[in-house]
Amino acid sequence: MTYDECRAKGYDFIVGVPCSCFKQFIVDLQSDTAMSYIAANREDTAVAVAVGAYFSGKKPLVFLQNSGLGHVVNIVSSLLIPYNIPIDFLISVRKEPFEHTHMYKITKDIVSLLEIDSQVYLIDSSSHS
Amino acid sequence: MTRLEAVQAVLDSLTNELLVVTTGYLSRDVFKIKDRKENFYMCGSMGNAYPIGIGLAVNNPDKRIVVLSGDGAALMSLGSLALGNSLKLPSLQHFIVDNGKYASTGGQPTCADGIDFSQFHNTTVYSVSEDEPASPRITLGPIEMAERFRSCFV
Ligand SMILES: Cc1ncc(C[n+]2csc(CCOP(=O)(O)OP(=O)(O)O)c2C)c(N)n1
Ligand SMILES: [Mg+2]
Repeated sequence: MTYDECRAKGYDFIVGVPCSCFKQFIVDLQSDTAMSYIAANREDTAVAVAVGAYFSGKKPLVFLQNSGLGHVVNIVSSLLIPYNIPIDFLISVRKEPFEHTHMYKITKDIVSLLEIDSQVYLIDSSSHS
Repeated sequence: MTRLEAVQAVLDSLTNELLVVTTGYLSRDVFKIKDRKENFYMCGSMGNAYPIGIGLAVNNPDKRIVVLSGDGAALMSLGSLALGNSLKLPSLQHFIVDNGKYASTGGQPTCADGIDFSQFHNTTVYSVSEDEPASPRITLGPIEMAERFRSCFV
């Protein structure tokens, strides 16, 4: 998903942790003065900040690399789901190099097991370095 | 100071502020002492009360946002305190009840002696040396907690 596509979907608050394939995405969102952006230092922190934005009436989007999925398992399970808080995710899916390969294999299963009731956009990062 | 005295001190300092409370005994204490629709009881997601406060404060510069954390929870997401130091949101206030232990799970020691929480943005630390027994469980459902809290903003 490009930044323009993300804008077109109505997101007005973005928070996340970088992946190299979000390089252009982050450049674009930082140059958009109408967008609120918080650069988070951990993926669960990003989700929590997005929850604060949701309570404030915003439509937040959290972006992360699939390697950060483990960091969000608890906040999705103990906050988003029981409290019925809809937070959308943009997840880059890396396959290479070797440290990403196992997570690549289990990414779709983890996302499906989490039963996130809102939008989850998985983007293939193989075209990025 | 005891845990309940610390919680009472935080609640006494509030008028119409929005309050996010950490998981464990502290949420139960706040619910028991003074439930109000401006309170959000974050049961679970330990360590994430403060970054929820960040998301609130960024979007509501004209409202005072208060977060109540335990030392164990603050240590679990120390990076979010660095984020708070970096953003320096003037309307965000953090109270940390530091008893040096995970009281809610049986009083095992934390490593809070390894950090000075007062170095963080708008942070007040209550050092607690004595603990009362747990307050009763919160009787509100999570969906109701979220909806009534959100209604304070939208
Ligand atoms: C991720 C996670 N790990 C462990 C727990 C179990 N747990 C619940 S409350 C708590 C202790 C919290 O300690 P602190 O924040 O210092 O508050 P206190 O209980 O001392 O008031 C722990 C470890 C949990 N809820 N979530
Ligand atoms: Mg403690």
